[in-house]
Amino acid sequence: MMFVDVLLTVLTVAFALLTVFSKKTVISAFALLMTLVCIGGIYYQLGSVFLSAIQVLVNAGAVAILFVFVMMLIDLEKYPNNTERSKIKLIITVLTSLVSLGVLALIINNNIDTITVVNLSDSSMKALFDRLFTQYYIPFELATVLLLAAVVAVVVIANNNKQHPGKE
Amino acid sequence: MSIYYYLSAFLFCLGLLGTIYKKDLISILLCLELMLGGVALLFVLFSRATGFLDAQLQVFFIMIISACEVAIGLSMIISLYRKKNTVYTDELKIISE
Repeated sequence: MMFVDVLLTVLTVAFALLTVFSKKTVISAFALLMTLVCIGGIYYQLGSVFLSAIQVLVNAGAVAILFVFVMMLIDLEKYPNNTERSKIKLIITVLTSLVSLGVLALIINNNIDTITVVNLSDSSMKALFDRLFTQYYIPFELATVLLLAAVVAVVVIANNNKQHPGKE
Repeated sequence: MSIYYYLSAFLFCLGLLGTIYKKDLISILLCLELMLGGVALLFVLFSRATGFLDAQLQVFFIMIISACEVAIGLSMIISLYRKKNTVYTDELKIISE
């Protein structure tokens, strides 16, 4: 096991824990940004350079910053302790997560010996895009339609309170 | 290499914990992003393990869909904040009322 693998894993775990357990939502958003950057590093480490670049550009660069941008519009300081829950809810939540993690870890542990590492000789961008523009061109075009629909939906949803004027 | 499999399971379960545990809608969306990140990491790992290049394209589509989800979710949160003046789930009990 390489040193870089361990370093990336530790960083990802630390930032993910900070994302969930931070009291302030802004810190959560920046921790999520760093988590996504670390996952991009893991993609690079696994040999998929294109996905690593897209992860840093789109997920970390655009999505996480969009969260921070929306937080500027919303008054989140009204309730500073936003993770306070009753004890029974906390116990149920932690139990659910631990059981899921246990089941997943058991499945991984039982099958980890059968997993081999194949050398992806053609994992370059050319092979990826050959497949994207020949075999997967209908999903690709549908994805563009989905993005356009999302743009229209965002404009409509964010503007729909013209006929229902809220509290002034 | 095998440590990444456990990492993706951990990220998914941590995101699940946050999704149930958090109170404001923005944090819930943040934790959903964490879950999607864990699943996408598992797709890349399987692509590496089997030599099946299509799994990496699935990650590409997951990214597109998660970007759409975040944009629409955040615009819904803004619209909700304008009408109800809150983003906290304890105060948003429209259906149960």
